[in-house]
Amino acid sequence: MSELQLKRIDSFEWEIPRGAVAGMRVPARLFADEELLAAIRGDRSLEQLANMATLPGVVDWALAMPDIHQGYGFPVGGVAAMDAEEGVVSPGGVGYDINCGVRLLALPLSAAELGARREPLVHELARRVPVGMGGRGAHEGVRGANLERVLAEGPRALLEELGIGSEEDVRLTESAGRLEGAEPAAVSARARERGSGQIGTLGSGNHFLELQRVERIFEARAARAFGLSEEQVTVLIHSGSRGLGHQVCSDYVKRMDRALARHRIELPDRQLSCAPLGSPEGRAYLGAMAAAANFAWANRAAIAHRVREAIAQVLGSETARATRQIYDVAHNVAKLELHGGRLVCVHRKGATRAFPPGHEEIPAEYREVGQPVFIPGSMGTASFVLAGREGSMRRSFGTACHGAGRRLSRTAVRRAVEGAALRRELEERGIAVRAASARGLAEEAPEAYKDVERVVEVVERVGLAVRVARLRPIGVIKG
Amino acid sequence: MSPPPASSQMSSPPAGSPALGSGAAAVHRWVEHTGELELELEAGSEREVLAEALEALGQLLAGDDRPSDRIGAQRTIRVSAPDPPALLAAFLEELIFLAESEGFVPCALERLELRAGELEAVVAGALGRPRPLVKAVTYHRLAFEPADGGYRARVVLDV
Repeated sequence: MSELQLKRIDSFEWEIPRGAVAGMRVPARLFADEELLAAIRGDRSLEQLANMATLPGVVDWALAMPDIHQGYGFPVGGVAAMDAEEGVVSPGGVGYDINCGVRLLALPLSAAELGARREPLVHELARRVPVGMGGRGAHEGVRGANLERVLAEGPRALLEELGIGSEEDVRLTESAGRLEGAEPAAVSARARERGSGQIGTLGSGNHFLELQRVERIFEARAARAFGLSEEQVTVLIHSGSRGLGHQVCSDYVKRMDRALARHRIELPDRQLSCAPLGSPEGRAYLGAMAAAANFAWANRAAIAHRVREAIAQVLGSETARATRQIYDVAHNVAKLELHGGRLVCVHRKGATRAFPPGHEEIPAEYREVGQPVFIPGSMGTASFVLAGREGSMRRSFGTACHGAGRRLSRTAVRRAVEGAALRRELEERGIAVRAASARGLAEEAPEAYKDVERVVEVVERVGLAVRVARLRPIGVIKG
Repeated sequence: MSPPPASSQMSSPPAGSPALGSGAAAVHRWVEHTGELELELEAGSEREVLAEALEALGQLLAGDDRPSDRIGAQRTIRVSAPDPPALLAAFLEELIFLAESEGFVPCALERLELRAGELEAVVAGALGRPRPLVKAVTYHRLAFEPADGGYRARVVLDV
């Protein structure tokens, strides 16, 4: 339970003043309503947020989105921008699952047209998309992928060498699926060993594949631009850089930890280990992180390919060809961006870029309505499509949240929920479920998460993004 | 994704026992953490803390399928680190890598040599399908230090 005193800025913004925790260089700010704040106070999130503000070169504020919860080093939902000249990069501030993110596909049919083929489609999706981490599913990635090219170029490497995806898919991906400055040589042999064979696999934990229907459109113009209509069927893919990204983070947390004294950096938590952006350690990490991010985009591209194969099998090849990628967003990454005329390295740890209308990095067909942002809820509730708004540039370094945010630990939710009963309940509500284990299913139960409707409302009221559509699950495949 | 039930984790009296010195039984427990898994360890010696950490991780990876009755594999681990907490993290990281890459579920520490900043261990275990859960060993609130005549440690696992 946090005892940190918060100052209220307005209805949905709170501040931890500089000085609340020793070494804070800037204040820390949080977007939440009072009910969310009560949940946030229940763990160490706020202490972790204040610790972020001690990092050298941090500018303006350390920030937290309304889905913030306790993580390691940074809280999940943490955002910090570091001055490009004087700041640091922190691998723990990006997280182990580098470029964990979500990709949304839209099918050219309605839930009614899908009808009784829903269950066979969920079955086929589960059969074709490997789940799990070690053992089963670990080495069932797409065959023939050239790892060097994937690390350097992301999904374009799969498109050109294996015919996976399309030019449009690549274009409708954040950063076109390729972070500048990727340096494959900075990725260790062990990271490559862990990642080889994992391109096209979902992973475990909170990773999922969800079949959905568009329940409601809130913003018609943006929905038209994104190609979404009510009752349309969609598929949401949530995965990341698998073992490769985990190892890159581990390697560089350790390397920077050993270099802290040389850089005269003192930290309240070793997991915040960091190095100046221009130092050998900082540059090497940025190169390796970009390579891992490219790997993650390729992974989601390969999963999307397998989703289209399943659609072709059940609904026909014409439906698969007409299944369109709406967008793909990263939510664990550090990027050099211009904010307020300054070049800064924005760390987003469980947070989504949400650029407003007119931003040049938004694909042309979406530029007038804002960048698509996806906020998955939990498997029994709903997910949201939003569009970035101007408030994000003024208040959050162009960022919105990434999900509902956990409320209960895995132990606590398993005390309250039994996997088999949850499966029955979901199926009674029209959600077909495939899960690697009943225990894993229980740990991701809706009760484990905050109310996504409330989280999204805060994002909208603060002006970071606007609701475009609500998606209701009709099938879930859990890693 | 979750640790075994709390009741199964205590191999001795709960944490907080006043004396941890030589002869005290080793203890591990999983502490509530919203997003990840936090492991606390107590024992009379550094070696016993490492053995208990292996025991805890083995239970976690095995899940309901405790493979101790079919031990048939053995792996040697060599790691180095600048200090004891980092050495504990490196040891667990190697075990997680073996689980992910080979399906090796650790069951017992057969031999351990500890030198300043270095560790060599022979680990007995079973080859199977470990539960897919731990991504990494973090440095968040990492600790491994003398306490009450014995040793205490804490490590947070990213899941």
